[in-house]
Amino acid sequence: MLTVESLSKIFPLDTGEVRAVDDVSFHVGPREVFGLLGPNGAGKTTTLRIILGLLEPDHGFTEVDGHRTASDPFGVKSRLGFVSANDGVYPWLSVREMLLYFGDLYGVAPDDAKARIAALAERMGIAAFLDRRAGTLSTGQRQRVILVRGLVHDPPVMLLDEPTRGLDVVGVQTIFEYIDHLREMGKAVVVCTHRLDEAERLCDRFGLLHQGRLRHGGTLAELRAATGRQHLVEMFVDLLQDPPKTTSGESA
Amino acid sequence: MTGERGRLARLCQKELRETIRDRRTIVTLVLMPLLVYPLLSMALNRYILSSGTSATAGYSIGVATEAEGVELDRWLSDPRSQPPDAVRAASGGGVAEFQIFVTGDVTPREAVERNDVDVGAAVEPGSRPGTLRVQLIAYQGDSASEAARQILVQRFQWLRLAEAENRAAADDPSFASTVDIEVETVGEARSRSLLGTIVPLVLVLMTITGAVYPAIDLTAGERERGTMEPLMASPVSRTSLLFAKYAAVVVVALLTAVANLLAMFVTLWASGLLEQVTGEGAGVPWRAVAQILALLILFSGFFSALLLSLTSFAKSFKEAQAYLIPVMLLALGPAMVSLMPGVQLAGPLAIAPLLNIVLLARDVLSGTVEPTSAVAAVVSTLAYAAAALGVAARLFGSDAVTRTSDQSIGSLFRRPPITTPVPTPQAASLMLALLVPVYFVVSNGLMRFLSANRESFSLGGQLLLNAAALTVAFGFVPLLAAYLGRNRLATTFRFGRPGAGGFVGAALIGLGAWAVAHEAFVIADAAGIGGLSEERIRETLKVVENWKQVSPWLLVGTLALVPAVIEELCFRGYLFSSLLRVLSPARTILVTSVLFGLFHVLTGNALLIERFIPTTLLGLMLGWIAWRTGSVLPGMVMHLFHNGLLELVARYHESFAFLGEDLEQQSHLPATWLIGATGIAAAGALVVFLTTRRRLHPST
Repeated sequence: MLTVESLSKIFPLDTGEVRAVDDVSFHVGPREVFGLLGPNGAGKTTTLRIILGLLEPDHGFTEVDGHRTASDPFGVKSRLGFVSANDGVYPWLSVREMLLYFGDLYGVAPDDAKARIAALAERMGIAAFLDRRAGTLSTGQRQRVILVRGLVHDPPVMLLDEPTRGLDVVGVQTIFEYIDHLREMGKAVVVCTHRLDEAERLCDRFGLLHQGRLRHGGTLAELRAATGRQHLVEMFVDLLQDPPKTTSGESA
Repeated sequence: MTGERGRLARLCQKELRETIRDRRTIVTLVLMPLLVYPLLSMALNRYILSSGTSATAGYSIGVATEAEGVELDRWLSDPRSQPPDAVRAASGGGVAEFQIFVTGDVTPREAVERNDVDVGAAVEPGSRPGTLRVQLIAYQGDSASEAARQILVQRFQWLRLAEAENRAAADDPSFASTVDIEVETVGEARSRSLLGTIVPLVLVLMTITGAVYPAIDLTAGERERGTMEPLMASPVSRTSLLFAKYAAVVVVALLTAVANLLAMFVTLWASGLLEQVTGEGAGVPWRAVAQILALLILFSGFFSALLLSLTSFAKSFKEAQAYLIPVMLLALGPAMVSLMPGVQLAGPLAIAPLLNIVLLARDVLSGTVEPTSAVAAVVSTLAYAAAALGVAARLFGSDAVTRTSDQSIGSLFRRPPITTPVPTPQAASLMLALLVPVYFVVSNGLMRFLSANRESFSLGGQLLLNAAALTVAFGFVPLLAAYLGRNRLATTFRFGRPGAGGFVGAALIGLGAWAVAHEAFVIADAAGIGGLSEERIRETLKVVENWKQVSPWLLVGTLALVPAVIEELCFRGYLFSSLLRVLSPARTILVTSVLFGLFHVLTGNALLIERFIPTTLLGLMLGWIAWRTGSVLPGMVMHLFHNGLLELVARYHESFAFLGEDLEQQSHLPATWLIGATGIAAAGALVVFLTTRRRLHPST
């Protein structure tokens, strides 16, 4: 479903350059939840943005269902769903208008979009406020609207960037159910997060990212065998103490 | 295709819906016009009363008693108190009318203070029988009051003068007035009132206000709300997204324009000021209103694109506002020009953005549209709109995903660690932003210095100082920018090796081009589009006359060699290499030429607008050579020959008299000369073209 191959991205800085993503490769299949894990600034979001076609990689490529971002950006974009903790809503549109708008952006026929929004609204519990102005929603309601927005066009691959950031227990539980739902629907899911405890419960496989490089990859059992540690948190503490082998002339 | 179009329509609808529902839009759309125009009309009413259009103006005088009123009225209705015909004709033919009121409970002074009357008067018998003593009270700073007082004083002066002349004539039969005055006017009468300019100006400014908020909200606002990233992640081209936003901004700007147009005409009609604007009899000039609406549509199309191109850049509302405020202030510049008396929609002003629309709207109102200029104004505005939209499409959503700005003021002056071959366009725009004030200060400062110390500098010394000033601005500033940006000098200033063909061709073009330039200038002047005033021509001839005192070497050195080297380094070097990074060669040539033209307009203390077209054309030629040859050097040769020959011809024009033509009269060159020169220039262009074919198309 989703293949990421030898991805690299360098950002120039005043004081040199930073390798935000450094030769990262992974694959995610249907019904699989892949956790792209790492501390803040590890390169998780940059990797997602390259997959989404928002940034151009300096090296490597991404492929979704056989479509490459470089040669068929719209083909890739229409097969990706994307939800981020930074996402906002259009305060002056009703929830339904906003969802229909995104359906339109993804080329879903208006009638199909209406039917799909009705079904998703029922599933995600937003049916009651579909016709309210999005600006009047509570944080939890807004979060669920954004989750529905990512699915309006029924993409085979979902990318979630820090989906639980800033949410309370109920909100986090909603995300867990959502991801389970995605898995049931047969989607390939990438979750970027630095909440390792959550990731351990959610994901089938993991990629541990540190300073732009994928340091460990595999299932929890594979990681335990490779690192000799029981939990992701301990593996990360080791990683942070172990200075990276190859980094650029980055000073910070 | 229809599906795609239907979707685009729905995208536009969404943007519009979002904007229209926003309360802040409603404020500019409805509240502003409702409040602004009634207030404006009150101010204008007051202004017109006090602006001395005395034919219709009436003033009120307050006196304490009925008897004083009768006495004052008797004197004011004496025909001797009115100005002689000559004076009256010189000031528009009208005589101010005064109405006299008895102030009753309050004194005339208090009545003036309360603004019940324009002036107060106390009238009492004079020291001798048959004479009068009048004391006038005016309100300081109130122009109507001061005007009324001034007119009254003059009326009494005329009365005294007439009385004195009568007495003198009675005593001495041979008496005659010292001077007899007659006045005569030439030129056609123009009924353009200031109001006729203010109306379109206010409409244009209000249209801008209408467009500002949606432009920011639909671009920078998307980023601030966190909706930009999902938007950019969707499979829709940026151009479609931007177009939908553009359509929404134009519609809101237009709705604002229509609301303002309606509010303004209703206010003007209701306050009786409409006739002042249209100069016709009563009634709403529907045709003019429709034409002005069409102009406002055009203008909103242009200004919305301009606003979007700026706000697309910004990451937040605040940042967008910071970009827009200078633009709004800059827009006031042309707006002020339109208020100056005697400004015509002609020549370069017909293509001056914003100003041309205001002037055209003024002419529409007064019914004096000149078709050629009108077409120029409309076409140029369309072109500006297209250009701004192009820039906006390029900028919109690029960098959408934060690339968190770590740029501070300090990073402008911190050299980057890596050497780069050419400057970024951002660095080039900063360089330009620095160049404008430096050039302005240096050239103005030099002029002031020279006019203060004219005796201590010979003409040669002045020419040398000029060349030094040019070097500081166009040489030093790009060099500093290249140093700060750590750009490789050879590639930044394009010191490529062009080959002999490039040099020969450029030299030939330079040899021929001066004659073509001279002829173009003569033709433009004859057609009246050169924009050169008689005064300017006289000044130029005086300067040229002085050149005879200077050695030709110094002349060519300071006015041809230095500009050729320095200006080429700046325009076809630094700017060219930087713009070529992001623009096609054709656009790079065009943009550098227009900048080249604009900097020649901005000289010292005057705007030499007539220099814009010839220098831009020269810039196009130089840009073409620079692109073909891949180097700045052949352009220097052409520039040197072009400038040098023009100056030498001007210095030695008397020596050409034997050829039977007189350059001093700005007459045409002999046909043989012209054909020869054009042929040489064309041959040069051919040489450049042929010898650079392999460089540009290595495969062929």
